[in-house]
Formats: sequence, C-alpha cells, structure tokens
Amino acid sequence: MSNATPANSTVTVTIGAWFLALLWVSPLLYAFWAAFHPSSHGAPFGLFAPLTLDNFREVLAAAPFPRYFLNTFLLVTLILTCQLVVCTMAAYAFVCFPFRGSEVLFMLVLIQLMIMPEILLVENYRTLAALGLRDTILGMGMPYLASAFGIFLFRQTFKSVPKELEEAARLEGANPLQILLRVFVPLAKPTYVAFGLVTVSYHWNNFLWPLVVTNSVETRPVTVGLQVFATVEQGVDWSRVTAATLLSVAPLLIAFIIFQRQFVQSFMRAGIR
Amino acid sequence: MLFNKRSALRLTAISLSYLALSATTALAETKIDFYYPVQVGGPVTKVIDGYVEKFMAANPDIAVAPIYAGNYNDTTTKALTAAKAGTPPTVAVLLATDVFTLIDEDVIEPVGSFATSAEDKAWIDGFMPAYLKSAQTDGQLWSVPFQRSTAVLYYNKQAFKDAGLDGEKYPTTWEEMVAAGKAVTAKDANGQVTRWGVGIAGNVGSAQWLFGALSAQNSAKLVNDEGTETYLTDLKVVEALQFWVDLSTKDGIHPPGIFEWGTAPADFLAGRVAMIWHTTGNLTNLRKNATFEFGVAPFPGHPTPASVLGGGNLYIFKDASDEQKAAAFKLIKFLTSDEILADWAVQTGYVAPRDDSWKTETLKTYMVEAPQALVALEQIPDSVPEFSTHENARTTKILNDALAAALTGNKTPAEALGDAQAEIDKVLKPYR
Repeated sequence: MSNATPANSTVTVTIGAWFLALLWVSPLLYAFWAAFHPSSHGAPFGLFAPLTLDNFREVLAAAPFPRYFLNTFLLVTLILTCQLVVCTMAAYAFVCFPFRGSEVLFMLVLIQLMIMPEILLVENYRTLAALGLRDTILGMGMPYLASAFGIFLFRQTFKSVPKELEEAARLEGANPLQILLRVFVPLAKPTYVAFGLVTVSYHWNNFLWPLVVTNSVETRPVTVGLQVFATVEQGVDWSRVTAATLLSVAPLLIAFIIFQRQFVQSFMRAGIR
Repeated sequence: MLFNKRSALRLTAISLSYLALSATTALAETKIDFYYPVQVGGPVTKVIDGYVEKFMAANPDIAVAPIYAGNYNDTTTKALTAAKAGTPPTVAVLLATDVFTLIDEDVIEPVGSFATSAEDKAWIDGFMPAYLKSAQTDGQLWSVPFQRSTAVLYYNKQAFKDAGLDGEKYPTTWEEMVAAGKAVTAKDANGQVTRWGVGIAGNVGSAQWLFGALSAQNSAKLVNDEGTETYLTDLKVVEALQFWVDLSTKDGIHPPGIFEWGTAPADFLAGRVAMIWHTTGNLTNLRKNATFEFGVAPFPGHPTPASVLGGGNLYIFKDASDEQKAAAFKLIKFLTSDEILADWAVQTGYVAPRDDSWKTETLKTYMVEAPQALVALEQIPDSVPEFSTHENARTTKILNDALAAALTGNKTPAEALGDAQAEIDKVLKPYR
C-alpha cells in the first residue's frame, strides 16, 4: 500500500528489526541451550530436558583454561596499550606537525591496511625466530603493536577538533604534550572506546598467528586451546563445543552487557559501525 | 696389602670416571620438538604427554617437548611455517596424504634412511603393508604409520529387524545395500522421510575419502603411486559416482544433496539414518550413546569389497642436527612400539597399524569388550590408501568440488569428473 501511515511503517520496522535480531542471536541462544544439556538432548528441544553442568566440567578438565585466559588477557592488554600510545602519537604528528613527505608517509600507512596479515606469516615468524621471541607473549603481540587502522582513525578524529581549542591551549602556555593529553585525547574519547573494542575483540579471537608462534601452555591463548574440542574426525559433540565457546566468549560478553550503553554511544559518535 | 690398595684405588678411579661420563651425557641433553594434532575426542593431549614422559624416563639424555598444534591443517601450516623460518619441529604427526607436499617443500627426511640395523628393518616390516604403502614413494619410506583409521559401515540392527530383515546379515554388495536401504527407509503419513537408508558423507574433506572406497569397490583406482596422475575419467570411476548420486535421486534411500560428516553420528544415533559410512574412530562414541543395538560391518563391494585408509604418520624433519634426528628416530620407534600403539588404539579408537599390537594383552582385552573393532582389522588388507598427489591441497579441493557438483545435481557425474580431471592435469603437469 502506498498510503502507509508512519505508525504502520514503524511497526514494520520493529518487526523487521526483531526478526533480524532473533536471527542474529539464534546461534548464541542455541549455544546456551546445548551447553547446559547432555549431548543426547542437544538436537530435539524438549522443555523438560535435564539440565547439567557436566559439559563445563569436562571442558575445564580437558585443558588448562585459567592459564589460557591469563595468556589471552596479557596479550590483549599488551597490544591495546601499545596501539593506543603508538597510534595516538603518530596521528598527532600527522595532524599537527606537517613535515616534508608526511602525506606520502600517511599513504604508506594506508597501504598497510590493505595487506592481509596472513601473507606475512612466514616473514614475521622468521623475524621473531631471529629475535629469539618465539613462544613468548611479547612475540605473539609484536606484529600488532602498531595499527594502521588506529592511526587512520585517530588522525581523522584529531582533524575534526577545532583549531581554536588548540590555539587557546597554546596561548595558555601548554606544551605540545599537554595539548595532546588535555585537548585532543579527551575530545576523542568515543573514538578510543570504539577502537579499543574493535582491537580487543579482534585479538581475543585471533587464531592463526598465535597458533603458529606458540608452543607451550604458558603462552597459548584461549582460541588455540579451544581447538582441542573441534574433533571433526568423530563428528561434532555440540554440547562440549558450545560449553567451551561460551567459556571463551564469556568475559567479552559480560563486559559488553555491562558497558553496552557506552559502547553504542561511542560507535555512534566515532562513526564506525 | 699394597696390591689390594692399588686395585681399590684403580676401581675408585674407574668408577669416578664413569660417574663423570654419565654426568656429562646427562648434561648433553638433546632437545627435540614434537608437533601433533588432536583430531578425536577425549583427553588426547594428556595421553601424548604421558607417552612422552615415559620415553624421557627411559632416555634421560633426550628432552622432548610435545606441542599440540590444532587439527591436521593447523599442524601442517605450523610445521611448514616453522620449517621455512629454519626452526622446524624434529618430529611431527601429519596426514599420510601430505607426503608429496612435504617432499616438494623439501622439509622432510625419509624415516627409512635411519633404519639401518637388522632390528630396525624388522621393526619396519612389522607394520601392515596396506598402511606402509601410503608412506612409500621414489623407493623410500618417508614416514611411519601412527594414528591410522579406516572407514566401516555402521548399521542399525533394530531398524533392520523392524523392516523384517535379519539383523545379523549386513549388505556385502552394492545391490544388497540398496535393497536393505529401500527396506529400512521409512516415511510418515505426509510422505516425509523419517528414516533414510544410508548416509555417505559428501562434504569437503570427507567426500574424496569415501569416494576412494567407492571407486576401489568398483575395481577402479583414483591415483597412481607416484602421485602424478589421476584417473577420474575412467568409466569405472564415473560409474562409482553415478551409483552414489543414484542412491538419492533414483533409489530414494540417501538424504538429498550433501550428507555431513560431522553430524552423521548424531543422525545415526537419533535413528534418522539406518546405515552410515564412518571412521572406526567413532566406535567408542557410538557404543557409549546408542540406545539401540547396532552392528559394524566391512564395506560392500561391486564386486570387490574395499575400504579406504586414513589418518596420520610420524615424519622426521630435515633441518635438524644429527643427534636430534637420531633422538627423533628413537622417539618414533617408541611411539610405534606394539604396546604404545595398542594403548593408543584403546584410548582413541584409532587402528593399531602393526599386527603384533593386536596380540598384546591390552588389545586382546579390548576386543573382548568391543568385538566390533575386529571388523576394521579384517578389512585392512582390502583397503586402499587415501587420495594423495603432489599439490595435494589443490587437487583434493578440485576433486571435492566435482563430487559436490555431482551430488547437488549441478553437473552429471561424467561432466563433473571430466572437468576435474582437466583441471588436475594442469596442476600436475610440472610433476610428470
């Protein structure tokens, strides 16, 4: 009908949104269902199927997950901290201290965005082996300590900061570092939160590179440890797979639920979706 | 008593020097890395750690670091990356079918070249010839069988009985399988199938494996021993694929499209499929979870009953010191000793690839508990190695895509296999 009232179209939009949201969340809901039921009750949904925590018990007994979590946490913290510092400094330089060739340099940074990290697997590994950093958390984080995406994002944000603010700060006698920390960084806070979320979830989920460089329980992150349950040869035991998956995403999921409002607002302001 | 005193001194000196000697050997430890994948359920990493500890207790001068490295693909990626960077593992469990890839990458050393003594040669002769075959090419033995499997037919005896068939009589030919499948296929009032006759997994990664069995049953061969030539346009091969496609389109006893390997055991356990072609590695899972009586049978034939072998072998990498390689060889001999292979078979469901393993107490006791395991053993001499060529990842993908195209009805079997053969010819040309 062409004369759809605004009320009608809101209803359509709401129904559509609910439909998409349910579709999107259904794997997660299934994971919750399967993880808390014995594997024999995994497929047909019976309302009174017995609940159990055995899957979690088995999963926790099969691998040293607390240690894996610690490794992932250390890795993500290291990467996030370094990226924030390095990218902030680089972006600040690109915006406020134009120098000869800075445009070309920025183009080079952008080009790096287009290179898939997997292509550099062997080269990176060789470098790490030469540095003696194989099988260390520092080595695992090394290729990611700077981020082209972060530099690009922060540069765009800093550029949108009114020149007057910077000049006012300078008149007040602030030095360049103070201007960065007191003017630019506070104004870019939404961008920082959004970037932090993207980076944390990316490195929390990263698999191939950590798999290749880690050799021991002391360095292996959760994703690599999880692979032990993907025993494809015998068919898939969904109960255990989902239990292990829930364990590994739980910290991120909980953090997201708690800080949901902040995250959503940051994404709106930072313009990343 | 001067004499005595002197001899006592001498004795002390000798024993001291011995002590010193043993002290230096204890210090001069050989360190080796051992990569292995985990492909089956259960506490596999703990079992491997246990074997390695046992080995180190018996060989205090060798330190082995067992490194779990994901599934087969992950382990191969990790091992090749490390080898390219000059720091390869010394030993690794990788797919038997990866042998040509590893030779082409020039990263492995033939295990056979370390077996110089008569005792070592006897150890190699102890492996079942069918399993050794996949490791032999260019007149060399490149690896030794470790975690090996084979595919068998699992059938639901209860469903057979419900359909009026003899639960103890399993199909031995294609025709019998189709007849049994038609009998056990059940439909509800709306004509919806509630139980299919047979399921043969056709997803990427499983299709080429089980198709190897289908072709062998039809007396055809997919690939030559050198891994340079495939015979996909052979009429017998096309006929085998036609049979597979017909199971669903003509006979109506196979789920339409592609049947998934990963969910096949669940389908079988829920009674949705009465016969599945699956790995022997699934026996423990099915025995634990089946609520009905089921049987394990060798594959049918047309006319030759045949199955296909799969699984991983132990490889030694090239870029290591001679001491490391010698230590690796020792480890390999330990891991493939009759007792360890028997224990490994019981813990995981893999098939012990040595005849003498089956004579150990461990496996004898197990066979009393699970007599079905014997089916796998009896079938091995009739089994063929898995599809394996140079550039294996690429050729396997081409074959898998062709099988999927035929199974989903996008191409006829002859078209699909013809196209695949032409593509594979291009890939393998440099190796001929």
